[in-house]
Amino acid sequence: MKYFNIHRAYSIARKEVMHILRDPFTLALALGLPVMLVTFFGYAIDFEVKDINLTISDRDNGTSSRRLKEIFAASGYFHLVEPGQAGPVEMLDSNRASAALFIEPDFSKKIKGGSRAMAQFVLDGSDNSKAAAVMGYLPGIRRAAQIRMAGMPPRERLSAETRFLYNPELNSRWFTVPGLAAIIIGLLAILLTALTVAREWENGSMELLLSTPVRPFEIIAGKLAPYGILVLAGVSFVYLVSRLVFGVPFAGSHLLFLAACLLFITAALSQGLLISVLTRQQQVAMQFSMIGGLLPSMLLSGFIFPVESMPAFFQYLTMLLPPRWFMAAARGITLKGADLGELAVPFLALGLLSAGMLALAIKKFKTDLE
Amino acid sequence: MSGACILEVKGLSIKFGDFTAVDNVSFCVDRGEIFGFLGANGAGKTTTIRMLCGLLAPTSGSALVGGLGFEDGGLGIKKIVGYMSQKFTLYNDLTVGENLDFAAGLRKLEPSYAKKRRKELFELIAFDKPLSSMVSSLPGGIKQELALAVSMLHDPEIIFLDEPTSGVSPASRARFWALIRRITGLGKTVIVTTHYMDEAEQCGRIALMRAGRLIALGSPEELKKSAFSGPMAELDFKGAESSQFISGLEKAGGLLELSPHGMRWHAAFKDKAAMDAALSALPASASAALIKPSLEDVFIRLVEGTER
Amino acid sequence: MNITLKAFIKKELTQTLRDVRMRALLFGAPIIQMTIFGLALSTEIKNIKLAAFSQPGDAMFERVTEGFYSSGWFTGVTHAAGEDPFELIASGRADAVLIAPAGGLARSSERGDGKMQLLVDASNATKARAVEAYAKSIIAAAAVREYGAPGEPAIQFDVRVLYNPAMESSMFLVPGVMGMLVCLITIILTAMSLTREREMGTFETIVSAPLSNTEVLLGKTVPYVVLGIADAALVVAAGYLIFGVPVRGPLWQLALVALAFVINTVSIGTFISTVSKNQQQAMLGGFMFLFPAILMSGVMYPVENMPGAVIAVAYLDPLMYFVRLLRNIMLKGGDTYVFWTNLGALFLMAVFTAGLSYKRFRQTLN
Repeated sequence: MKYFNIHRAYSIARKEVMHILRDPFTLALALGLPVMLVTFFGYAIDFEVKDINLTISDRDNGTSSRRLKEIFAASGYFHLVEPGQAGPVEMLDSNRASAALFIEPDFSKKIKGGSRAMAQFVLDGSDNSKAAAVMGYLPGIRRAAQIRMAGMPPRERLSAETRFLYNPELNSRWFTVPGLAAIIIGLLAILLTALTVAREWENGSMELLLSTPVRPFEIIAGKLAPYGILVLAGVSFVYLVSRLVFGVPFAGSHLLFLAACLLFITAALSQGLLISVLTRQQQVAMQFSMIGGLLPSMLLSGFIFPVESMPAFFQYLTMLLPPRWFMAAARGITLKGADLGELAVPFLALGLLSAGMLALAIKKFKTDLE
Repeated sequence: MSGACILEVKGLSIKFGDFTAVDNVSFCVDRGEIFGFLGANGAGKTTTIRMLCGLLAPTSGSALVGGLGFEDGGLGIKKIVGYMSQKFTLYNDLTVGENLDFAAGLRKLEPSYAKKRRKELFELIAFDKPLSSMVSSLPGGIKQELALAVSMLHDPEIIFLDEPTSGVSPASRARFWALIRRITGLGKTVIVTTHYMDEAEQCGRIALMRAGRLIALGSPEELKKSAFSGPMAELDFKGAESSQFISGLEKAGGLLELSPHGMRWHAAFKDKAAMDAALSALPASASAALIKPSLEDVFIRLVEGTER
Repeated sequence: MNITLKAFIKKELTQTLRDVRMRALLFGAPIIQMTIFGLALSTEIKNIKLAAFSQPGDAMFERVTEGFYSSGWFTGVTHAAGEDPFELIASGRADAVLIAPAGGLARSSERGDGKMQLLVDASNATKARAVEAYAKSIIAAAAVREYGAPGEPAIQFDVRVLYNPAMESSMFLVPGVMGMLVCLITIILTAMSLTREREMGTFETIVSAPLSNTEVLLGKTVPYVVLGIADAALVVAAGYLIFGVPVRGPLWQLALVALAFVINTVSIGTFISTVSKNQQQAMLGGFMFLFPAILMSGVMYPVENMPGAVIAVAYLDPLMYFVRLLRNIMLKGGDTYVFWTNLGALFLMAVFTAGLSYKRFRQTLN
């Protein structure tokens, strides 16, 4: 890079802004995506498993079995449904119930007599996480039933008092909203950049630009800057909504969060540029952006599916993905108030990946010209 | 003229909202003619053609194409008409054979008939490449000839060609026009739009369009005669100062038309006397030659002259 | 019509399959997505980093901690003795910290209820809940080990898990991914191909032939319906062969469902092409439909957990029905009630979307 003329870069940026404003689809996407995400993840997502349709087949009908049924009903997790014509298993087949309880005929007698009483609990395992959660409720219900029937709680020998840090009410929203910034940046920045540059290659205006005294770096800076700002606006929107509407706390330093955002934006923009240079065609650019942008930021970053639950190979793979590090940093800052020292690893990784991606993109851009 | 007219257009107009793209156009094309549309971009040539192909419905007026009108939404017209649009109408990512198969399917041609036509057309355009060659690998001139052949697969009576030679080398253009003549020799009628003057010279008759209106119609000779009643001289100042003479010439009477052509000027006069008088004032270093007006001169006079 | 339709199908399929990029989309995208979803992603919470703090020599506590680590859900975190548990969590080195009561666990248990402190990083609420649930069951098991089973009355739950006894994530996720893939591919492919045809100008050739509007529309869309169904078949086969996701229901049910769904998506793709001026817009338009459609489809989290207003919108999402049907047919054998009600909804939507796109398409032809 010989010397960088800010004016030339600025005029390219201005042209890009005109493009954006005149293209309804880009604008709709850039504005609509954050809104969609915040609406959906803010309002819609509640990961707690409850309102489970439970059908009970009581072949005993004694006091104890009735008490057991009441406890299930009162637990707050289950919603009792009448089996009607269909058998309990049919209810599971037809999605009308997710669980079925079979109480054996001698249930109450056995309880009164002091021997073991059995109840079979059949569970729809197709959604394994839901099933796991339901299974997790059983010990609590069992204990409540025992208290109810014995009149007094059995003595607890070992127990744990759980203290939930940073999010005492276990609000799912607090968890997902910081991650939306990752999606917005990870997807929008890459997609829009890839498309815009690919478009110019495709219709030949890139070569036209390059035949002028404009330096490649000025082109890059000028073209990408508006999208960086657009994306930052999207993130700010998400921030404002999550703070003001959902009351999500922000425990850490705003400056640090901004730094993380900027680093990630740089990485994402560079990635978009790289894609466009490599593919030079919009269609392919789009596909690669989806694969390279959406998938990592939504699926592999730890946003919904935990990174720790992945097989070792994928855990190492995600270390190469900027979204994963950004997610860790963003959550650490927003929810835990972590400082730079505690987030040294994510920031370092993010910094290295950004710099690497940018260097690679510029190099490829330059060599492509020759 | 209705007896021999294969294409009869009366007062044809089309409006898009407030914009009149084609305004009250009337003409008649004989069977076997090479009929040309000449005009600048946006003059309405393509729009007129698209109406005549049954692709667009006119707002007012009528057109009988091979005796058929638009009553059935243009379906009858489409059956007897072939159309080659401005952009190439062949698929670059398919082979020659696949393009032909698709065209045959579009026209619901029996496979055996399609094969027969294919052989005939390949002979007509002297196409010797294998069926399996990709269209993208063909040179530009061969591609357009092939596109023309494909548009004739169903043996139409009338063939519309919209700027068929844009972006193609002069040698290929000449070849293409030889092909057009062969086609009309077979009894087909060809209607072409062009903005190349030398191509327009090769048409039987030309319709000159401007801003949606038909401003002249006739054979090239007829048009030249009607545009220029008197002689025309080409003036070459050989680099000397010309402005004084030109302004003097413009003020002089008997001047019909004066226009720059490259480095020279074309001056058309009412009659020989006017020309002699004007040229007597010519500076010594300049030269004048008597020339026959070309279609370009006609075009400038009729189209752009009206603006002065 | 037959000759023309066949010609259209042949042309579109040839063009699509010849294009390397389309092949990549058709075959590459499914493989990548299925690999990621099938192998990498899991909704199970595990590998939870647990640090344990106690006085040296607290044997019972060490046994309890051992129970945590051997459960398979928790992994150990080494730390210096004097470190602050809160620091460990703040820095992310530990997800949870178990702290023994002062004076040792055994003593606390004799005197009272042996209460340990469990600090859990709740920034991930789902994970935190799982940690608490796991901890409870591990501690209960530890108590039984140390002190024997609790007294009467003893209720025992005999738990049976249907359809997916091994409780594998892939059984749940993979059918969802299948739906997502077919949706993505058919919409993007259709929208872009139709727009590209218009962009290139070859559309004129088609329009200049004596075809009815219906013929043109069918000719342009039926090839993609064919491709979509082929893709669905490919994806189901891949799910079965690679991930062992069974197909317990009849194939004809799957076929009908795929047909109804693909008609929907091809119609949507066609509609998008009529409002797009160029391929880029077609892509973005497709994406703008896909993103909410996928979010609300129940692929990643259950529809039932969404608030009422959002559920109402989810019920307008063809992908939601498709995924629900896929899961039901493949895992549960295809319940009659579920099949006919959801298929009916899909077909109704197909009629609606096809009609709408047909209307729009006709307008663009003129």
